[in-house]
Amino acid sequence: MAAGNEAVMAGETVTATVHIDAPPERVYEYFTRPEAIVRWMGDYAVLEPEPGGQFTVDVKGAPVRGRFLHLDPPHCLLISWGYAGSDRLPPGTSTLQVRFTAEGSGTRVILEHRDLPPAERAGHASGWTHYLARLAMAPTGNPGPDPGMPAPDAAQI
Amino acid sequence: MSEAAFHALAEPHRRGILRLLRGQPRSVNEIAEQFDITQQAVSQHLKVLRDAGLVAVRPQGQRRLYIVRPEGLAGLRDFLAEFWPDNLQRLKQAVESGEPANDGA
Repeated sequence: MAAGNEAVMAGETVTATVHIDAPPERVYEYFTRPEAIVRWMGDYAVLEPEPGGQFTVDVKGAPVRGRFLHLDPPHCLLISWGYAGSDRLPPGTSTLQVRFTAEGSGTRVILEHRDLPPAERAGHASGWTHYLARLAMAPTGNPGPDPGMPAPDAAQI
Repeated sequence: MSEAAFHALAEPHRRGILRLLRGQPRSVNEIAEQFDITQQAVSQHLKVLRDAGLVAVRPQGQRRLYIVRPEGLAGLRDFLAEFWPDNLQRLKQAVESGEPANDGA
């Protein structure tokens, strides 16, 4: 699915897009209804889809906190995005723009996550994924022997 | 990834703690209940994880809840550059597999 689903980093914005085989009205609801958003992102959500309304989603333990800034159903959403307790990206600091446009019989979703703080250093793009894969192998409470953690100097893959 | 993060992750209990916190934020007590080590030892592990930028503390009422810092390992933008494509793919699957979105939680 790489063709329709790729991220591009440009300046202080992360962009991602996907085609979905459903009309914009339907896709839009997956950003504005709690019972719909938790089916793809997060396990708990409180959403108030009106200007200034709260956008609260807990995503794998990370508390995303923001507000709906602008709503133009079913075409566009502007949402502030931050993490409670984060010094790096506290609530209200970055902005998520999501556009929904008809494409064939479905919808093109174009997501831009803007106003991100500049990177503090060159990141290790595969770090989190690599680490999560390792976590998935570790049994609960008793992760057992280290299954091959790379040494620090091996990290520059 | 920083050396501190590697050091933090080299210890099995700390990996276990991080895995636990991915599910939901928890207090020291709640974390300690899941392991065979003392609460004091858990606190020390949490300090290492905090110093490495992998977890943060969120006050909630009288309690102090530990949470994962999603950007802890990859850097914030790298994290989001993986996060959004992954999640849009999940969105696509949810919508296309979907019953209408009004079927409750």
